[in-house]
Amino acid sequence: MSMLALQGVGRDFGGLPAVDSLNMSAERGRITGLIGPNGAGKTTVVNMIAGLLKLSRGQVLLDGEDVSTREAQELSRMGIARTFQNIRLVRDASVRDNVLAGFHLHEKTSTLANLLGLPSAFRERRALLARTDELLDRFGMTAMADWPAGSLSYGHQRRIEMMRALATEPRLLLLDEPVAGMNDAEAYKLAAIFREVADDGVAILLIEHNMRFVRRLCDHVCVLASGRLIAEGDAESVINDPRVIESYLGS
Amino acid sequence: MSSLAGYEPLFELALLNMVLAFSQYIPLRAGVFSLGSAAFAAVGAYAAAILATRYGVPPVVCVVIAVVAGGIFGALAAVPLARLRGVFQALATLALVQIVLSTALNWTALTDGALGINSIPKAVHLTEAAIAVVFVGYVLHVIGLSAIGRGFDIIREDETVAVSLGYSVRKHHMIAFVLSGAIAGLGGAMHAFSSYSITPNEFGFHMVVMLLAMVVLGGRVSVFGPVVGAIILTGLPELLRGFQDYRSVVQGALLMASITFLPSGVVDTTRGWLRRRALTRGQAGADAAEVTS
Ligand SMILES: Nc1ncnc2c1ncn2[C@@H]1O[C@H](COP(=O)(O)OP(=O)(O)O)[C@@H](O)[C@H]1O
Ligand SMILES: [Mg+2]
Repeated sequence: MSMLALQGVGRDFGGLPAVDSLNMSAERGRITGLIGPNGAGKTTVVNMIAGLLKLSRGQVLLDGEDVSTREAQELSRMGIARTFQNIRLVRDASVRDNVLAGFHLHEKTSTLANLLGLPSAFRERRALLARTDELLDRFGMTAMADWPAGSLSYGHQRRIEMMRALATEPRLLLLDEPVAGMNDAEAYKLAAIFREVADDGVAILLIEHNMRFVRRLCDHVCVLASGRLIAEGDAESVINDPRVIESYLGS
Repeated sequence: MSSLAGYEPLFELALLNMVLAFSQYIPLRAGVFSLGSAAFAAVGAYAAAILATRYGVPPVVCVVIAVVAGGIFGALAAVPLARLRGVFQALATLALVQIVLSTALNWTALTDGALGINSIPKAVHLTEAAIAVVFVGYVLHVIGLSAIGRGFDIIREDETVAVSLGYSVRKHHMIAFVLSGAIAGLGGAMHAFSSYSITPNEFGFHMVVMLLAMVVLGGRVSVFGPVVGAIILTGLPELLRGFQDYRSVVQGALLMASITFLPSGVVDTTRGWLRRRALTRGQAGADAAEVTS
């Protein structure tokens, strides 16, 4: 069974469908690419899966369970994490604090222990900080840990988004243009991390514009144009599909 | 020493204002636009004053009951109000202040109406006020460092991100309302025990604006924000005593200027600036070491 399956999913804005009749899936351990020209509806798809936009039609299944009407907070508890295309960090907070915020689902101490400042709450904070530092190290950002997130380059801010999403330890990771604005060397470093995450059994849905990157990284690619799936398959065949070439040239 | 002693009432007032400012600080930190602190303070003050004057309950017990009453009142208010946002929430909490005020004015059997409650024993002095500030400040500092503080910060900055990370906005807003109510209950009760008498009007528009100004001026992230805000806004009228006629004008202008130029408040702006400076220096040092090695 697929980790994620969309069945006949659609979403209208002002009576016009931004996404329509979409069937696609993402498997655990694999990186599924979602590509398409600007305005094709890719971010809308991510927002629907993450529970931030209601579906107009169709169903979203997570590991076989219909989650179409669940709230974003519940979906996050069920193991869906995402990054935002338009970077959304606490700009004045440090890199470390931004990543630490992602560990919320792994906090075990009670509200009362936190309110009273019991030792268990402080122990947990130290343990989560240690895990935060591991993530910072993995993304090569230890030296920037104390800097305000908003003072860093977009490339680094995107890494913070990814660390924060990974901190939740998701089953399904939705990455909305995670390497936009990075050079190839930086992007491939992240690609190696995405591959490791997938190898741990996570299903990754990757939205990306850079065709070389998609070709190199994705096991399976879906192409969206004007809200509809126009092609899917392995990266090579999809990229050479005349309908795909046309949709890109036409945009 | 004797000149300082003359300022004792002023210091006491500043400390009591800090407690009330803490009550305003908590919701703002959590992204709740509540102006309800004055209402919660009135509940605490009247509960304490009535128990002390009518039933002879010892002040300490009165204060504890006022804290609980304020917290419960905050929780009840949160049920309808926590789902609102922004100006709607501000307006609804302001309406709550109005309701509490009219109740205090009109339920004369309980509150003696506009006359207020008099002959409240003087149980709060400088020491008690200072203890309350340190206690509440410490508790809020600990909460700020805890998972709950992290939830407050991310919910305030970006609710969409917060829910995407699994934070329950409803739970955190409820906690903020309860804490705000309990702390205001404490502040109100201590005010009653410090000033011999209370009247409904003390908990009106003036208090709402004063508390809001203290937190906005001082800062709403660091616990020292409301402390500094309370010091400035309690001390300022004293400093401006010479300009009796223009006092409100100067005070208003100062507030406008500080909001324009220090939108994060005195404390948070200063802390951010110090942090950046330390980081830049550390960076420069590291670069220099790299060059020389
Ligand atoms: N919240 C929204 N409200 C109204 N229209 C939207 C909203 N989100 C996206 N759209 C519209 O839906 C279409 C698809 O947008 P989007 O999903 O952002 O595309 P992509 O991510 O593929 O570039 C666009 O026409 C966009 O203007
Ligand atoms: Mg997009």
